[in-house]
Amino acid sequence: MSEQQFEPNIIAFVCTYCTYAGADLAGTSRLKYAPNVRIVRLPCTGRISPMFILKALQKGADGVLVSGCHPGDCHFTHGNYHARRRWMVFRSLLEFTGISPERVKYSWISAAEGSKFADLINSVTEDIRKLGPFDQYQQMIKDAQSPATL
Amino acid sequence: MITQEKYRTTVKELLASDSVKMVIGYKPGSTPDRRRPLFIRSSDDADQLVLDSTCITNLSGYLVAEGLLSDEKRVGIFLRPEGIRSINILAAEYQLNMDQIVIFGFDSTGREVRPLEGRHSKDFSALLSDIKENSPQISKEPLLESIERMNEQERFDFWQEEFSRCIKCYACRQACPMCYCRRCIVDSNQPQWVNTSSHTLGNFEWNVVRAFHLSGRCVQCGNCDRACPVNIPLRLINQRMAEMVLEGFDHFAGLSPTQEPVLASFKKDDTETFIL
Ligand code: SF4
Ligand code: SF4
Repeated sequence: MSEQQFEPNIIAFVCTYCTYAGADLAGTSRLKYAPNVRIVRLPCTGRISPMFILKALQKGADGVLVSGCHPGDCHFTHGNYHARRRWMVFRSLLEFTGISPERVKYSWISAAEGSKFADLINSVTEDIRKLGPFDQYQQMIKDAQSPATL
Repeated sequence: MITQEKYRTTVKELLASDSVKMVIGYKPGSTPDRRRPLFIRSSDDADQLVLDSTCITNLSGYLVAEGLLSDEKRVGIFLRPEGIRSINILAAEYQLNMDQIVIFGFDSTGREVRPLEGRHSKDFSALLSDIKENSPQISKEPLLESIERMNEQERFDFWQEEFSRCIKCYACRQACPMCYCRRCIVDSNQPQWVNTSSHTLGNFEWNVVRAFHLSGRCVQCGNCDRACPVNIPLRLINQRMAEMVLEGFDHFAGLSPTQEPVLASFKKDDTETFIL
């Protein structure tokens, strides 16, 4: 039996004005990229609550990508600056509790960067594939489905 | 003892002159080393007041009790430096009007209690800046150091073990003066963010959310840690996050009533080495 390649599930939370438009451009430019990413479009990175990241993991994601407009380019002028601070704090919190920061990635992709989007999806998919399935978290999810022991 | 007597007298004077409608302090609890909150409205109540090194609870959460400050009368409160920091945050987040608060400051080393000079939050700003300056030198709890030395897997296992005991009683939230939301995210169910079962998954999510919402707001008073019935070392997470905001944004929570909340402000040149 041939060894099947692990296909990670990745959830991407993107802002509609930049990264989503960048993904669109990748599509209309017919750039091919890894099919492992499910995109969730939001009005702004400022709207991307860390709860979304936890929810994606709770639903079994192996990796999460959060992406929006470059600093200075936010449609709402500073939503992404707020988001950046939140990411920094959340990232170090996850790290402290033992969740690899490699599982949750952040990027800036503008509406003009269709090829950056395609490349990034490929490289993120590759990185997560190397890390393998998020077994630790999946075990927690599985435990939560069984009756409580107490 | 002397401090306690002095403060008793001051409290009585302020109540008699109607400068404050109530003073929140401490009274004896169920064991010699426990204290209870005391709500002093009369001279008789004031006789019950105790002030010693076992008065450790941060009482500032009582100030945001529904309706307490809405008549615009003044309320006195006994606070350690952490408590003064919490009311600064509450004021910065528009939860109270600092001019209504009369502070009875105190601190202790060993069993010795000493008063802190001042009545208004601004009288303590020098003291708080000193604490900020000295905070990096304060030696860390050995357990925190050992967690920081662990690898990812070990850290994950450590916290899984701790969080597996959580019973989602939310005592940590109720005890925290910064957790004043009328409707907490764990209580909302459309959508249901945090898994409700008693398994580690939801416990982990809850503890991460709690810590995130308190990042840059926690003053490390220890109320949550002491309230936790299963002894999860919440202080370690709080301390780690306080260090993070200090290192990352030079933010020390509660320095003044006008300090911008760290997650509601930004600098254009915040570091972002991890962003692709
Ligand atoms: S999180 Fe805990 S230590 Fe921090 S302010 Fe709240 S009760 Fe105090
Ligand atoms: S006080 Fe302890 S057991 Fe209760 S919800 Fe908080 S962490 Fe869990």
